[in-house]
Amino acid sequence: MSRAVSLERSPRIVEDRVLLGVVIFIASESVFFLAIVLAYVAYRDAGLATAKANLDVGRTAIFSIALFASSGTMAVAGRTRSRAWLAATMILGAIFLAGQGSEYARLLSEGIGPGSALFGTTFFTLTGLHGVHVLAGLVALAALFTAHLGRARAVGAVAWDAVSLYWHFVDAVWVVVFSVVYIGTLL
Amino acid sequence: MTAIPLWVRRPAAERVGWLRTVDHKEIGVLYIGMGVAFFALGGLEALLLRAQLATPEATLVDPETFNQAFTVHGVTMILLAVVPLLVGFANYMVPLMIGAPDVAFPRLNALSFWLSLVGGIVLYFSFLAGGAPDTGWFSYAPLSERAFAPGTGVDYYILGLAVNGAGTIIGAINLAVTILLMRCPGMAISRVPLFVWMTLVTSVLILGAYPALTAALVMLLVDRQLGGHFFDPAGGGQAVLWQHLFWFFGHPEVYIMVLPAMGMISEVIPVFSRKPIFGYGFVAGSSVAIAFLSFGVWAHHMFAVGLGDTENAIFGATSMLIAIPTGVKVFNWIATMVGGRLRMTTAMLFAVGFIAMFVIGGLSGVSLAVVPIDLAVTDSYYVVAHLHYVLFGGTMLGIFAGAYYWFPKMTGRLLSERLGRWHFWLTFAGFNLTFLPQHWLGAAGMPRRVFTYAASTGWGPLNFISTIGAAILAVAMVVFFVNLFRSLRSGEIAGDDPWDAFTLEWSTTSPPPPENFASIPAVTGRRPLWDRKHPEARDKR
Amino acid sequence: MRPPADAIGTLALIVGVIASVIFIGVEAALVYAIWRYRASRQFAGEAATFERNRRLEIAWTAAPALILAVVFVLTLGTMAEINGAGVTPAMRIAATGHQWWWEFGYGGTKTANELHIPVATPIDLDLTSADVIHSFWVPELGPKMDMLPGTVNHLRLFARRAGSYDGQCAEFCGIEHAWMRIRVVVQSQAEFDSWLAAQNLPVASPGADGERVFLSNICVNCHTIRGTAAAGTAGPDLTHVASRATIGAGVLPNDVARMRAWLADPQRYKPGSLMPSVPLSDADLDALAAYLGALK
Ligand code: HEA
Ligand code: HEA
Ligand code: HEC
Ligand code: CUA
Ligand SMILES: [Cu+2]
Repeated sequence: MSRAVSLERSPRIVEDRVLLGVVIFIASESVFFLAIVLAYVAYRDAGLATAKANLDVGRTAIFSIALFASSGTMAVAGRTRSRAWLAATMILGAIFLAGQGSEYARLLSEGIGPGSALFGTTFFTLTGLHGVHVLAGLVALAALFTAHLGRARAVGAVAWDAVSLYWHFVDAVWVVVFSVVYIGTLL
Repeated sequence: MTAIPLWVRRPAAERVGWLRTVDHKEIGVLYIGMGVAFFALGGLEALLLRAQLATPEATLVDPETFNQAFTVHGVTMILLAVVPLLVGFANYMVPLMIGAPDVAFPRLNALSFWLSLVGGIVLYFSFLAGGAPDTGWFSYAPLSERAFAPGTGVDYYILGLAVNGAGTIIGAINLAVTILLMRCPGMAISRVPLFVWMTLVTSVLILGAYPALTAALVMLLVDRQLGGHFFDPAGGGQAVLWQHLFWFFGHPEVYIMVLPAMGMISEVIPVFSRKPIFGYGFVAGSSVAIAFLSFGVWAHHMFAVGLGDTENAIFGATSMLIAIPTGVKVFNWIATMVGGRLRMTTAMLFAVGFIAMFVIGGLSGVSLAVVPIDLAVTDSYYVVAHLHYVLFGGTMLGIFAGAYYWFPKMTGRLLSERLGRWHFWLTFAGFNLTFLPQHWLGAAGMPRRVFTYAASTGWGPLNFISTIGAAILAVAMVVFFVNLFRSLRSGEIAGDDPWDAFTLEWSTTSPPPPENFASIPAVTGRRPLWDRKHPEARDKR
Repeated sequence: MRPPADAIGTLALIVGVIASVIFIGVEAALVYAIWRYRASRQFAGEAATFERNRRLEIAWTAAPALILAVVFVLTLGTMAEINGAGVTPAMRIAATGHQWWWEFGYGGTKTANELHIPVATPIDLDLTSADVIHSFWVPELGPKMDMLPGTVNHLRLFARRAGSYDGQCAEFCGIEHAWMRIRVVVQSQAEFDSWLAAQNLPVASPGADGERVFLSNICVNCHTIRGTAAAGTAGPDLTHVASRATIGAGVLPNDVARMRAWLADPQRYKPGSLMPSVPLSDADLDALAAYLGALK
């Protein structure tokens, strides 16, 4: 594993064990999400009415933009190894989770939960599982951040790339989820 | 104890202990130990099933116990016995065979093992916690929903399989990266031993299939614990969704269980034929074809669900296609033996037994891919016969071949050939006696998963024979266990290369040192050790 | 039309022959290789070194492909034949799976565990389930078809010879899956018609004290006896229970003595069955058994 100093050029993914491992892991994670998304799609029609009536697309779009933006800040952070940009990424991710949390609270208060009906079941499972992955991503970012805080140069290029790969993945999954679940209610 | 160290040639002072080891060889041994233990448990459960079914309307066990027994038997054999055994051998042998000092992520490797084991323990804990799962190894909804399975058994099933699966997925990532990035100089991907090839393909299958199971398990958990409706028709859900998700995992899983075993006999047959494998490229390539196809056949487990003739026809066709690459393997193995100098050691006996028995299971499989025939015999003992011919007659015999072949490398001692022959012939006789009659039972109308059957059905005699067979199998397994334990202590010393073999694992000491090789080897062909021993007759490729 | 069972039988025979030929071929090659090239039998000389032959590889890839193509075509033919699309059924019967008994509906009239059909007549079953997945399987009458809650599947039945055929639930459906047996009675059109006419009649034995016992106990919560106040649906319709050959979907032959034993303690004969053991006095049991035993 290349214990390189920061700012050193990253190795090519197909050459580095850790990066290749992360990519393979992401691939199998995609299968996992694919299955859940397909289940959501399979039951879409059954829950469409509830979805149309209760999902606030505009509001969620704003929080989604935060998450999408965090991919950008992560990219910059990765290139510049900048603690500030890393922090920005974490804050944006946190904002997204906060938004999701508030939406959950609202739906639950309106009596829509995982057990209420098919829509609730599929919606909370899909978005919830994504949320858990965002959380995991935040933990990874935090780990990177603290490691970077310490002896800055100790954090290898590989660590940066691995974390940002995963973060971009979590982001990409949301692109799909947002389109299927939210945009889907508009058409 | 032993004059020579077992498993790894490491000074006693440097032993780290099983709990903390991250050495791929010791972790491989842990996996194999887990597999052997659970195989014994699953086998004892099977004996209980056979005892109850020996005679009609028997009352040896109550229905509840029987249903738990076949459920746990299936899950145990597949996920806690066969997969750990195969992963265990891969863990121990792959780095040695590609000339690597260890796997890519030694610590993760330990993690995967412990996750797999904990998953198994969680499943068995259900016995103490008010009842094991009793819904069958594929646990169809809605039977597995709260409304019909109010106990905690299914929850332990979900938890156990999820944790065990996580371990298996991490293990697959590890093996894949190891094979892709850690081959020694000259070990082109077109030169790696076929066991390594099949392990790579298997890892890909695991990474594609297991996540679907995890997803299905999560959904079932949501249904059971949060009142969800994924598989609850009353709430608008569909029972069939579970079947699609489960079999999208379930069918690749069966090739996950057979490909590494095929890899093992692809090592054993050439060595004991004193010939290079015939059609290396085709044997390796056909594995890729099988892997690719295996993601497109899952609904052949659902022909009777009423998907429609078109769907059934398509999935029937894809299922039949798999026979072609599989046949290629069979023919190439036989062609490898032709013109050779066959040494019929126990390892070779089991390898040949694999071919002989697997073909039967394969052909019955193809008959099941013929939709109308499946509609007649699905969910009957005909299927039970099929799955044991491929899983025991195939996978298990392959694992036994690998065990007799590699035991000397792992322990420095040979397994007894005399006991080995007893083990083989008792297994061969017992196995066929147990499962051959089940084809007729199924055709005669005996459904699977019945705790008993009416005397008027006339199924008694064949079931009795089947039970006798199981008893003989049990004896065979006891012989094997005796052979293991005795050879561990007092087996004949093997030396580094007892079989005059071809591949790198035999170029180091038995057992190998912690770092595997004194110096990382460089290879120029598919049979590096042969090349070393016969410089005059080096392999071209 | 040809009974689906026969069509499948023919196909199975063909596939069986093909499989046997392949089986014998492969095993023979294997045994020959072992015998011919075993080291013990070898005069001096090293093993051959050939390791590939493209022509061979192509041959043994193509040959199976061709065989399978043939098998697949035959498969399509038989599938088309057994789904019965061509022939319109003379009658539809509703079959519903319950844990662990069968309900058969002829129009409004319901009966259980024993299916009656006229001989040499194409019948369609409309299959569904009241709880978990079951599977309707009478081997001699042809393929099986799953019964899923929330969906209706169809199965074509066609029996050439009169008589009674045994079958059984094929999809694991819980603790008593083993005792979810089916009895199909195939009779001449005339016999069938009179059977159905009899089944359509409500009971006409008011005042029997067995009836009093029945109506004054929880039986009525789960069972229907047409012609009385009992209209439960959790259990089999008992209007003509005595006309069936077995009790409890096959666990017991049906006569007054067995009926009494069943009523006294169903859990003894079918542990886990959803029919509870209802505490009754011996006198009541006798009356009840006599009453139900008379519901021909
Ligand atoms: C190691 C595991 C393994 C393997 C390798 C296979 C291999 C195959 N299986 Fe099997 N199968 C199982 C394990 C396995 N199966 C299990 C566990 C179940 C039951 C699950 C459950 O319900 O509990 C099952 C069930 C199952 C079903 C569903 C039955 C039912 O429930 O109704 C079907 C249906 O198509 C099927 C088909 C096949 C086919 C076509 C192959 C093919 O891959 C076989 C190919 C091999 C050959 C054909 C032999 C060698 C080839 C030649 C010699 C060439 C010439 C041959 C021809 C031209 C035909 N299998
Ligand atoms: C690799 C997989 C595998 C293996 C090896 C086996 C091995 C055996 N199986 Fe299993 N079986 C399955 C996978 C497997 N099975 C699956 C997936 C199912 C479907 C489950 C379901 O329907 O959900 C099934 C179902 C199944 C059934 C049908 C149950 C039913 O439908 O009601 C039966 C019945 O005969 C059976 C029998 C046997 C027997 C006799 C063996 C024998 O080969 C066992 C031989 C081993 C032994 C006899 C143990 C020897 C050990 C000792 C003697 C103890 C020594 C102890 C120490 C040293 C500590 N199996
Ligand atoms: C809680 C519901 C329930 C109650 C109460 C109940 N039964 Fe049942 N009964 C069933 C079910 C379910 C079956 C089917 C059992 C099986 O075959 O698994 C059944 C089966 C039967 C059968 C056999 C029918 C057949 O054709 O096989 C008879 C007779 C019967 N019940 C009579 C009675 C009588 C008399 C009482 C009252 C003393 C009674 N039942 C109370 C649910 C009930
Ligand atoms: Cu109903 Cu099995
Ligand atoms: Cu399959």
